[in-house]
Amino acid sequence: MQTTTLITNWDFNGYWLLVMLALPLLSLGMNVAFSKNERLPILSSALLFASTFIALFLLYSTWNSSLKFNLNWFSIGSNSYTITLLVDRISGLMLFVVTFISALVHWFSVDYMRDDAGRNRYFALLGLFTFSMLGILVTSNLLIIFMFWELVGLSSYLLIGYWFNKESAAAASKKAFIVNRIGDIGFVIGLAIAWFNFQSFDLLVIQESLNSSLPGVTVNLISICGLMLFLGAMGKSAQFPLQVWLPDAMEGPTPVSALIHAATMVAAGVYLIIRVSFLLSSDALLVVAVTGAITAFMGAYAALFQNDIKKVLAFSTISQLGYMIIGVGVGASDAAFFHLLTHAFFKAGLFLGAGAIIYAIHKAYPSDDVDAQDMRNMGKLKSAMPVTFSAYLVFSLALIGIPFTSGFLSKESILLGSMHAASTQGGLYWLVAGLGFLSVILTSFYVVRMLALVFFGTRRNSNEKAIKESSVTFKIVLLTLAVGSIGFVWSYNPFSVDSSWILNSINLRKYAQTELPHLLTSVLSLICISVGAGVALLGHKRDRLVPKNRSAVIALSLNNWYLDDIYQFIIITPFKALTRFLKQIEIKVLDRVVHLMAVSTAVLSHVIGWLDRHIVDGFVSASVYVVGRTGILTKSIQGGKVQSYILLAILGLIIIIFLVI
Amino acid sequence: MMLELFIVSAFLFSIGLAIVITRKNAIFVLMGIELMLNASNINLIAMGGANGQGVFFGLFVIVIAAAEAAVGLALVLKIYHHYNTIELDKVNELKD
Repeated sequence: MQTTTLITNWDFNGYWLLVMLALPLLSLGMNVAFSKNERLPILSSALLFASTFIALFLLYSTWNSSLKFNLNWFSIGSNSYTITLLVDRISGLMLFVVTFISALVHWFSVDYMRDDAGRNRYFALLGLFTFSMLGILVTSNLLIIFMFWELVGLSSYLLIGYWFNKESAAAASKKAFIVNRIGDIGFVIGLAIAWFNFQSFDLLVIQESLNSSLPGVTVNLISICGLMLFLGAMGKSAQFPLQVWLPDAMEGPTPVSALIHAATMVAAGVYLIIRVSFLLSSDALLVVAVTGAITAFMGAYAALFQNDIKKVLAFSTISQLGYMIIGVGVGASDAAFFHLLTHAFFKAGLFLGAGAIIYAIHKAYPSDDVDAQDMRNMGKLKSAMPVTFSAYLVFSLALIGIPFTSGFLSKESILLGSMHAASTQGGLYWLVAGLGFLSVILTSFYVVRMLALVFFGTRRNSNEKAIKESSVTFKIVLLTLAVGSIGFVWSYNPFSVDSSWILNSINLRKYAQTELPHLLTSVLSLICISVGAGVALLGHKRDRLVPKNRSAVIALSLNNWYLDDIYQFIIITPFKALTRFLKQIEIKVLDRVVHLMAVSTAVLSHVIGWLDRHIVDGFVSASVYVVGRTGILTKSIQGGKVQSYILLAILGLIIIIFLVI
Repeated sequence: MMLELFIVSAFLFSIGLAIVITRKNAIFVLMGIELMLNASNINLIAMGGANGQGVFFGLFVIVIAAAEAAVGLALVLKIYHHYNTIELDKVNELKD
C-alpha cells in the first residue's frame, strides 16, 4: 500500500468515478430497453471508450494521492456501516485496463456479432460484466467487493451460456457457476472471520488494526481468513483444483472469452488475493505458492496437445494465472499484479486474434461441416491474414516471455521472486521455482506448436478457398493490443525488470531488488524457452505436431489430467447416488410421515369441530337462552298499564314513608 | 276534632286512590284524582289552625284543581279522538 496522503473529501474526481461506473450500466440499460436497435452496439462501445478516458483521467489524478471517500451506507444502533471508495495506484491501473480491454472487446464484437439475433442482449451482458468488475475495483470494503464478485459470477454465467440453445454451452455456464460457488463459500467464511476479528469489512481498517496488533487478534485465525479469501480467489481465478470451469467457458462467444480471460472474471481473483495478501502468514503464503505452481504446471501441460485453438488459450490462461498466484505466494505481489496487467493485453489479443481467425473461416465456409476452432483445419494463414498474423505473433511471443515483450518482463519478475524465495526459504519453494521453469518449457512448446499449426505448414483439408482478413475494426483492435504487449511500453529498458515503471511505482515486495539473481533467472528462462520451442520446431519439421496415435501422455493432456472424470467419479456420482437415496427416503419416510400428520390433523380437527359445536357453542347458546327468558319475564312489568305504574309508585312511596318514620 | 278530620281525609284519599288504580275509564281516574285532592284540602284545613289560614290554601287548591280538571278533560277528549276509546288499558302504544 502507498503511504501517500489521501484525498478524503468528496471532490471532483469522486463524481468522475461514479460516472465511469455508470457508463457500462447505461449501456446495459439502453440495450435492454431498445433491444431491436441495430446502432446501439456502436454506441455501447463509444460509452466504454468514454469510460476508458475517465479511468485514464482518474489514474492520472490519483497517481500521487489516492482517492478515498467514506460513504455512509446505513447504521444499526450505534454501529454505522460505510462504503469506502478507494482508488489507489493498483485499482487505478486496473480500472484503466479493465475499461480499455472491455472497450476494445465491445468494439471488436460490433463486427463479430453483427449477424447474431441476440446481439443487444450480448452487449447488455457485456455492460453488466464490465460494471460488476469495476465495482470490485473501486471499493476497499470486502462486503461490497463480495457483492460485485457475485455479480461478476452471474454475468459470466449469462455470457458463457449466451448460446443457451447449445446444450454444451448451457452445461458449461452451469459448471462455471457451480464451481465458482465452491470458492465463494470460502469467501463468505473469510468475511465472517474478518468481521469476527476486526469488526470491519474495510481492508484499510483491517490493515491498520493488524499493524497495531490489537490484543485478542489471533494470528492463526487471520491466516485462515486469508486462506478462505484465497479459496474464493481460487474459484474465480481457476486455480487447482477448481480450474475445471475455465476450459468449458470457451462455449461462450470468443470476445467474451477474451474479456473473461483478460480483464474481468479471472483477474478479479488475482486482484483480490493481491489486495488481501497482507493477511497471509508465511505458512499460508507457501500454500498459495504451491497451489499456483501446481496450477501453472497442470495448465501448461494440459495445453500441450489440445487441437482446439480456444482450448489451448484457455489452458494457457490457467497456467498464467498460476504464475500470478506464485507471485503472490512468494511475496512478490507487485510482480503478480504486473503480470496480471501484461497478461490482460496479450491474452485479450490472443483471444480476439483467434476470434478473427474463427470468424474468417466461418465466412469462408458458412456450412457447419468445418470445425472453425480446430487447428488441424487451419494452416498457412500467415499469407492469408498478414495483419492478424503479425499481431498474433507479438501476443504469442509475449505469452512465451521472449525479450522485448511485456510478458518477458512480468514473467521474469515472478520467476525472480520465486528464485529469491527458494534461495532464502528453501524447502517447497524449490518445487515452486522448479515447476515455474518447467512450465516455461511447456509454454514455449505449446505456443510454438499453435503458431506452427495455425499460420505455417501446408494448407489443410478445409483451406482451399481464400480466407481473408475480415474487418478493419478487427485489425485496429488487434494492433492496439499488440502495441500494449511490447516491452517498451512497460519498461524503457526491455531487458531489465527493475526499470519497469509499474513495479517501481507499486512496491509491495518484502525484499530488496539488488539481492536478486537477475542474470541467472534470465538465462535459465531463455534456455527453457529455447528447449520448448526447439522441440516444437522439430515436431513441425517432421510434421508430428498433431500426434497420430494417442499415448497415455497425450491423453492426459487432452483430457486435462482427467480432472473432469475424477470429479465425476469422486464427487458427482456419489452425490447423485446420495440424492437418489435421499429422494427414496423422502418418498418412503418423509412423505408418509407428512401424510400421517395430515390425516391425524384432519381427524383431530373433526373432534375439535364437534367439541366446538356442542360444548363451546352450548355455553354461548345457554347464556343467550337465560338472558332471553329474563328479558321476557321482566318485560311483563313494563306492561303499558298506567295504573300498575301508579300502584307500584304508591307502594314505593309507602315503603319510603315507613322507612323514614 | 282534628283526628276525625284526618280520618275523613285518609278515607277520602284511599277511596280516590282505589278509584285511580282500579277504574279503566279515564274520566273516572280523573274523578279519583279530584277526590285525592279534596282529601289533601281537608288536611290543609285541619292543620290550618284556628284562624282559618288553611282555608285560603284550600280555595287555591280548588281553583287550580278546576283548571287541572279542564286540562285533563281536554286531554281525554283528544285521546278519544285519537284512539276512539278512553279505556286506559287500550291506550298502550309504548308497550312494544
